[in-house]
This record gives sequence, C-alpha cells and structure tokens, in this order.
Amino acid sequence: MQKSLSKLFLAPLGALLLASFALAPVADARERGGGGRQVSHDGGPRGGGRDLQVNNSRRDVRTNNVRNTSVNNVNVNRNVNVDVDRHGGWNNNYHPVATAAAVTATVAVTAAVVGSIVRSVPPNCSPYSYNGISYQRCGSTWYQPQYVGGDVQYVVINAPY
Amino acid sequence: MTHHKLALGWLGWLALSLSTPGIGAEAAPAGASSPVVSAVDPASIEALKKMGAHLQTLKRFQVRTELSSETVLDDGQKLQQSSSAEIQVQRPNQLRAMMWSARAVRELIYQDKTATLYTPALKYYATAEVADNIGGMIDQLEARYGVQVPLSDLFLWGTAAAPLDQIESAMNAGQDIIGRDLCDHYAFRQGKIDWQIWMTTGEAPLPRKLVITNRADEARPQSVSYLAWNLKPTFKDTVFKFTPPSDAQAIGIRPLNPR
Repeated sequence: MQKSLSKLFLAPLGALLLASFALAPVADARERGGGGRQVSHDGGPRGGGRDLQVNNSRRDVRTNNVRNTSVNNVNVNRNVNVDVDRHGGWNNNYHPVATAAAVTATVAVTAAVVGSIVRSVPPNCSPYSYNGISYQRCGSTWYQPQYVGGDVQYVVINAPY
Repeated sequence: MTHHKLALGWLGWLALSLSTPGIGAEAAPAGASSPVVSAVDPASIEALKKMGAHLQTLKRFQVRTELSSETVLDDGQKLQQSSSAEIQVQRPNQLRAMMWSARAVRELIYQDKTATLYTPALKYYATAEVADNIGGMIDQLEARYGVQVPLSDLFLWGTAAAPLDQIESAMNAGQDIIGRDLCDHYAFRQGKIDWQIWMTTGEAPLPRKLVITNRADEARPQSVSYLAWNLKPTFKDTVFKFTPPSDAQAIGIRPLNPR
C-alpha cells in the first residue's frame, strides 16, 4: 500500500491542482455529518462556538473567485524569515488554488480520476477499513483519506481488493 | 440656499487649505523641525528583543487568539474571515493547539517527539515524528508537511529563527490600549510584509495584538490577531497526551515533496 500510495502522490501536478479541492461548503457539510462537532477532552480548551451549525448554502459563488496573489499571512516569522512555499495559515482559509479550481473539482469528483484529491467525499460514502487502512467507499469509487497540510483530504484510489 | 452657499464656502476653504502648505490646521508650528530618524529605530528593535527574551522564559502558559484574516477576490474586493485558536504549552516539548472556525475544527497534540493532528468531526488522526522541542516541531511540521502551528511566532521571537537584522524599517507608533492593557505599539517593514505589534508596557512585555499586511498584493490583505494570555493556567499534563477515541481512525499525512 505504501508503495502505491507514494505513486499516487506523484500524479501529474496539473491533474492534482485541477482536482485538489472541492467547494468549501461541501466540506463543511461533510464535517457536520456523523459525529458532529461536540467533542469533549479532559482539560482541553473549550472553543466558543464549537457546537454551532454552519450553513453556507446561501453563500454567493463569487466568494470563490479568490485571486492567486491572495496570500494569508497569519504568522510574522514564518512569512518574513523563511523562504518556503506558503500553504495558507493555520486558520484554514480558502486556498487560492483551491478556490480557483473549485468548479473544475466538482467535475473531477464525478469523473473520480484515480490519483485526484478532493476535500470532501460524496454523501453516499461509507467508511471502510481493510488491512488496517481507512477508506471511504462510494459506490464503485474508493477514496483514501489523508492529511494534506492540516486538513483531511481524499485521494481517489483503485479498489484496494 | 443659504446652506448651499455655506457649503460651497466651506469647500473652497478646504481646497485652499489642502493646496496651500502652512495654512491647514495640520501644519507644523513655525520653527519646529522634524527630528532626523533612521529607518530602523534601534529602540524598536530592542523592544522586540526584550519581548522575545521574556517569551522564552515562559515555561507553562495558555494563550488564545482571535484572528481576522482576508482573502482577495479577482476584482480586488476583500473578504474577511474569523478564526480562533488556543494553545496550551509546557516547554520545552509539550503543546496542545485547538483551532476552530466555521471552516474546520482541528487539534494538534504534541509531546516529546510525536505530533498528532486530529479532526474531531471526522474522527481521523495522523501522527508524525518531530523534534524534541517546540521550535523544532514547528519548523518540521511546516517544512515537511505544510502544517502551520497557530501562534508559532511566540516560540520564534527571541531565537535565531526570528532574526531582527533583516528588518528594513522599524518605528515606535506610540502607546495604545488593548482590552485593559496599556501597550507599546511598534511598526515594522520587511520585504513585502508590513507588520505591527502591540506589546504590554513594562518589564514583562507580552504581545496583545498583531497585524500583518501583505504588500505583494495591491489590495494589501491583512490579518489581525488579538492575543489573550493566561500565565497561571490550570490545565493538567494529560492534555498533552493524545488518546484516540475508540472510533477514531489513523490515516497518513502527505509530505510536501514526496520522493
């Protein structure tokens, strides 16, 4: 699995960019499902608003037209002193590439190109564990969840068995 | 009609005062000359050093930040987003961060050489082996995985990872009040980034507000953070140990440059 996964990572950048991210509101909807947001941790900080339900269904599509130069600088030193590619701040803002590719991404989701990455899976999916690895099975399409930056995304893979 | 004339008269005076130096109310009194200032005010750099040194002495603390950040649309219109984060810290090698916004709720739990990312709503987590100190952990998570730790500046100021000799402009912008705290306000410029900091006045300076402006984009997107401190936190060390819920599943984390 490790080997095939690393191959997946080498998928052509173009395809990756095109298919990298689905619409953020979809991701919101996905995260609301199932366990919801109520989390309890011993001694952990209680975040305000963590039990609130967010509904972005009425958000204007124009809010997705984020320009490429829009960079989210939320830490000083990581921005002025370190010459690394910016991947957006910890605040999980809409990534310029993500939003620019959003419309294309929905197409990619439909096509479910192996190796493509999406931010959320369709609603008809169910979690599936095989050989100790977690998947989302959505009809004949399989996704493997992985962290990309601080977020969970899903790689379209060939059926694991 | 009278009002109209008055308005015109006022406008005329305004135009005159704007176009003629020395007449407007803002004009400097005769004889006063502005003091010569260097681009980098040494006292402002010194204030940063002092704050950094103080931050490095804090062993156990809790900080919450309220962040407003901006994205720029194609036509230059800006949208502002809100996020919050709270970190619990025990130097040198324990940290827990909780990040929440309308877009996601995430956690980072770090202890010794292990960093765990956890997304409660999805019940997925991933672990990565990292350095045995907070500064190294921050650097490795970002460099290897593109994971940014909230409030990472707090661990970099006062260290070699936050050099101050590249700052191109530094100035004291006076004093301000943040919440109930009297603060010294400083403004810096380096490369395409302008940034401002408000630190509490006195011998134990703590950053209370931070503004970062990106000049690489003509719309100048900006982020504003307010920091709230608790130097006598009541959390227990158990917060630094991640015990996955029984229904949580471990997944991988994608390296930035897989080979």
